Amino acid sequence: MAIKTSWIISLKALRRNKLQTALTMVGMTIGVATVLTMIALGSGAQAAIQDQVKAAGMNLIIVKAGNYQLQQERAPDDAIENGAVGGAPLEGVGRGRVRGVLFHPEDDPFAVHDHPTSRQRLGDAEAGLGAAATLTIADADAIRKVSGVQYVSEGIHENAHVSYGGERWFTRMHGDDVSMPRIKRAWVFPHGEYFSRRQEANAEQVVVLGSIVAEKLFGKDNPVGKTVTMWGQPFLVTGVVTSSNWMVAPAAGDDEFDAVYVPVTTVQKLLNLSKLNDITITTESTGNVTRVSKDITDLLRGRHQIAFKTPDDFQVVSQARKALTGGGMQADMQRSVMGNAAGLEKVTLEQLGKTLDQASATMSALLASIATVSLIVGGIGIMNIMLLSVTERTREIGIRRAVGARAQDVLLQFLLESITLSVVGGLLGIAIGVGVSLFISRMLQWSTQVSLMSVAFSFGISAAVGIFFGYYPAKQASQVLPIASLKYE
Amino acid sequence: MTTTPVISIRDLTKTYEMGEVSVHALRSVSLDINAGEFVTVVGPSGSGKSTLMHILGCLDQPTSGQYFLDGKDVSHLSDDEISSVRNNKIGFVFQGFNLLTRTSALENVELPLLYSATPVSASERRNRAMAALAAVGLESRYEHHTNQLSGGQQQRVAIARALLNNPSILLADEPTGNLDSRTSVEVMDIFQSLKEERGITIVLITHELEVAAYGSRIIAFKDGVIVRDELNEQRRTARSELAEVPVPVEETA
Repeated sequence: MAIKTSWIISLKALRRNKLQTALTMVGMTIGVATVLTMIALGSGAQAAIQDQVKAAGMNLIIVKAGNYQLQQERAPDDAIENGAVGGAPLEGVGRGRVRGVLFHPEDDPFAVHDHPTSRQRLGDAEAGLGAAATLTIADADAIRKVSGVQYVSEGIHENAHVSYGGERWFTRMHGDDVSMPRIKRAWVFPHGEYFSRRQEANAEQVVVLGSIVAEKLFGKDNPVGKTVTMWGQPFLVTGVVTSSNWMVAPAAGDDEFDAVYVPVTTVQKLLNLSKLNDITITTESTGNVTRVSKDITDLLRGRHQIAFKTPDDFQVVSQARKALTGGGMQADMQRSVMGNAAGLEKVTLEQLGKTLDQASATMSALLASIATVSLIVGGIGIMNIMLLSVTERTREIGIRRAVGARAQDVLLQFLLESITLSVVGGLLGIAIGVGVSLFISRMLQWSTQVSLMSVAFSFGISAAVGIFFGYYPAKQASQVLPIASLKYE
Repeated sequence: MTTTPVISIRDLTKTYEMGEVSVHALRSVSLDINAGEFVTVVGPSGSGKSTLMHILGCLDQPTSGQYFLDGKDVSHLSDDEISSVRNNKIGFVFQGFNLLTRTSALENVELPLLYSATPVSASERRNRAMAALAAVGLESRYEHHTNQLSGGQQQRVAIARALLNNPSILLADEPTGNLDSRTSVEVMDIFQSLKEERGITIVLITHELEVAAYGSRIIAFKDGVIVRDELNEQRRTARSELAEVPVPVEETA
């Protein structure tokens, strides 16, 4: 007999006992809704923790053109190698001593260099932090393909006069990618929005004003749709950006909100530039900042065809590395910290990231296992009802057998009944679970995350519960003898 | 008759083990029933007639002996095969009607087609079930649930269901046991006309001799053996009896 026919028979049988069917389904619905909500809460908490860590900039990497800090950061390693090239003695390889003996800053005009400095190699006398012309959009595109990389934004930074009507303001101009608002998590747009991918692709003359600039030029008016002038060119204002974080309040001269944002392509076209000042990168997980930094370094060295032992013509800085050496630390101290920076990063970031991940994964597993108990209870409910139903419907089974139903037809019918109960109950549970998750995040401001995976998981579980808890009663039903139809009530 | 009998049983025994005691429900029974016969089986409780009915209906299997239905030995088939035999060759009418509750008359009649070996489309199922209901005069009540039908109507639905697959035999087990006398006669009229007009072979089991008198052949059972087997010369005809009794108001289906 076709499964479709069996299913129709099952549906009719379920319809005959509407209340019983509904109550059994409710058990299943509650189970699945609980599982889904628990998973949503668990992974929401996990994402929230990751978000917090990311918002702190822990997953931020900045690649700067040029290598101004090379001699300081790489002093111990490079100096030894360079020294060896120059035939300097290698005795006493203790860090402090080596630095004292072999360290020779590239910036010292009197230093005798036994290797090409980054300036010589680049042919750019002004080569310094962010000013060297070594990074291109193609580099940024290549970095986008590195595994673990989340967002990448090209960066060109200039000073510019922005004017509107009679007002004129001297500020910073950032040429960026559309992904910048996602990198800067604390950004909000009180008016309009960031420029679009299409506008960037077409190098359109559009601008996003920092809230300080907007205030200086427009006062309290909404500047969206107005046209401002920069470099004698008209720029359409698409939005105003400000900070959602009270810790980063906009202030004049702060380089972030006392600034304007223009598509990097527009800046390149107007200023006739082909190079970038820097590339800003975020990683998907805070745990792999160190690994991604290393991959980017290797990638760029390959792309820039930098030979072995030749220093980088760029600088990869992670937020954490900056934090470690920031805060007016003495130069000596800073160097010794940076010497161990790789190790420190590993300890601070990877461990922090992994510990947080682990903690929230444990949390999710705990919540899910509690919820699984409710699913099992739902499943036992189905089994109980089905067993009762087999006893109650002995005569019905007998009648079906008498008119020619095979044992397997009866088995299939009862199995399909319990699967229908659990799957329909499960689907309702999924709907309710999604609803409850949304409600929780709306009303209680707890972050929840309903993934396709967890929905698929819940559906699979409910089908499995139907089969597992339905098989035994169905088997019992199939063993009812045809002669049962003759037992009168 | 020269044709092969529809039912042919040889040395059929059925023994139930009740703890220490063996109950011999049938003791080496042999019997032939030909196509078109309306056989009534009578006997007191415990005579073995119900056991015979179970075995004839392939609801139970004999302890020993053989049972040929349409020339095929069906006494020792697998569950799937015996289910198919019940589906195709046997129609049942029971004392308790045995209809599915909270189910329409039409769906009850359709039931055997759901289990037929070759799939039957929904529209064909409906057409055939409607035709069967029309044959018992209930086509106007096809949507009624079983609890909305009178006893006689329920039994007619059961007969329609039994006839749906054009079975070789129609087995009726005390079909009038739960009905009043007039309705009983109406049901017997249906059986008699099925025999006369469509040549359907009927085996009817009853403990009432008046009911047995409607058959063309009467077999009497006692203690698991046949004590009498003869053609019924003074057959009652339900139709003429009905004509004499006035029609009650509520039975104008």
